[in-house]
Amino acid sequence: MAEMWISMGPQHPMTHGLWTLKVKIDGETVVDTEPDLGYIHRGVEKICEARDFTQIIPYCDRLCYASANTWSHAYIYAAEDLLEVEVPERAEYIRMVAVELQRIASHLMWLGAYCPDVGNLTGMVWCLREREMMMDLMQELGGSRMHYNFPRVGGVKRDLPIGFAMRCRAKLKLFLDRIQEYEALLDESTIFLVRTQGVGYAKAEEMINHGVSGPNVRAAGHNYDVRWAHPYSVYDELDWEPSVERPSIKGSDCYDRYRVRVEEMRQSALMILDGLDKMPGGSETYHEPGDPAILAKAPARAAEGQTGHHHFEDSRGESMFYLAGGGEGRGKHPYRVSIRSPMFITIPYAAKCMIGYKIADIPAIMGSFDPCIGETDR
Amino acid sequence: MAKEITAEQVLSAATELVNDVSDFGDAVNAEVRHHTGGRRKHAYVYIEVVASEWRELALWLKKSKSVDYCSMVTGIHWPENADAAWQVVVHLLRTGVVNPPVVNKRVHETKVDVGALSGNSVPMEFEISMTIPDTREPCVPSVADIWVGADWNEKETWDLVGIDFEGHVGMRRVLLPHDSPTGYHPLQKQHKLRYQEFNEMYDDPQGFGRKPEDSGRVK
Repeated sequence: MAEMWISMGPQHPMTHGLWTLKVKIDGETVVDTEPDLGYIHRGVEKICEARDFTQIIPYCDRLCYASANTWSHAYIYAAEDLLEVEVPERAEYIRMVAVELQRIASHLMWLGAYCPDVGNLTGMVWCLREREMMMDLMQELGGSRMHYNFPRVGGVKRDLPIGFAMRCRAKLKLFLDRIQEYEALLDESTIFLVRTQGVGYAKAEEMINHGVSGPNVRAAGHNYDVRWAHPYSVYDELDWEPSVERPSIKGSDCYDRYRVRVEEMRQSALMILDGLDKMPGGSETYHEPGDPAILAKAPARAAEGQTGHHHFEDSRGESMFYLAGGGEGRGKHPYRVSIRSPMFITIPYAAKCMIGYKIADIPAIMGSFDPCIGETDR
Repeated sequence: MAKEITAEQVLSAATELVNDVSDFGDAVNAEVRHHTGGRRKHAYVYIEVVASEWRELALWLKKSKSVDYCSMVTGIHWPENADAAWQVVVHLLRTGVVNPPVVNKRVHETKVDVGALSGNSVPMEFEISMTIPDTREPCVPSVADIWVGADWNEKETWDLVGIDFEGHVGMRRVLLPHDSPTGYHPLQKQHKLRYQEFNEMYDDPQGFGRKPEDSGRVK
């Protein structure tokens, strides 16, 4: 049969954003794919070169609308590596709470978007209901609903509000019960199982070679996690273990990737509950309180040739910021900000992954990798 | 069971690796560096390499040191420094991820015993830097066939910074529009943003001091 190219996107429910997947098909079978990105390229890296180290934080929030906190924290750890800043322990705990709440919210957004992809509209409504609880909690921290602008170089914007721990515990305990509802809804839904099981096989070593990381690799049966391999923050003091799924011999399918994210939400919720118990008291949430010196010291500390980078476990894989200082001549601005976006690397792999399957499987396979175009296009 | 990799494990593995790199001679300079921020100041391996030796080093890292993951390839433009006007920075990770073992026809997931890792199995960060003198057509060897993850990173570096990769198949615009002018790479420093090089933003944040260009002329 004659092969032909068709274009899925930029406006297509499969894309979860603005991009085009060009698919070469032979009948119903996918023979070749070519992703076409860049529809919402905003030039964040260039903008950051003209902003000082604090002004960059809101831009990082806006890299990914579903996972703002993880991105601003990924930046802040790299900035602290460049500026040689240490953070009080309480601030690290608060950051951990913020990041893990965001991870839950991001996975809920993913599940909420994925369920309609495979024909289960109820899942979306349920997931967005619980995501609202997480967003309320993060709104208490950062003051805004989606873009929190919460971390600072050397600490966090402010301490936990009064009663936050109580409300957080109550909501997370409710959430831990609700996870079982998703599992009951999806694991016993024939249409969900038929559409996710046995499609989109991906092997662990192949994914690592293609630069795919995070939950997608853990779904393929290896518990690699940046949080223990390149440790940061207070994860060593918490009671948790990286979620990992047992795949089939052919690798992980879409169902494994769904399972591992559900398990990760549960781990994150337990991590926050544990962290709230272990959090040290006091009000020290900022490096040298009241000291505006960090930014003033920036030109000297971020001298030309000085660099900082930090590998961070984002909700979609390993994200990284690489900052190069410009010295006195550049004032308080970095000379170059470079962003490693996990989805920018994963989308080409996911596109390769669907070769050999049917057109109808494309939304199921693409969605299972959790694409987010905001961070992809930057 | 240890929860995470310790500073000693990383440091001893990094030191060992840096000693092995010395076999390459003058073309490769490796050193152990430490992160300077945060709670843990773990070591990582920093390597400076002559661009022509980069592929050989990459193959050695992949085969002998089981470096299996390319995190980032990026470029920096230093127009004021004619000897090293272009810098390519590559970040690699050693993850140690393997396909889960099959025992009795049953797949078993891998749960790493973090405390027992040593030598080539310790997760490690690599920062590799190479510089090119001022030229109109900067180019370094591509490693996209060694780590496929470098493929789109290299495309992005060419698209935004304008550094080409020799041996890269299918180089094209990825983030900018496909019909962008040839030779337009916005992260080169001759393209400037407003506020980029002066402190107007601090001295006159409201913009009251700014005047239209024709102010003072008789109208």
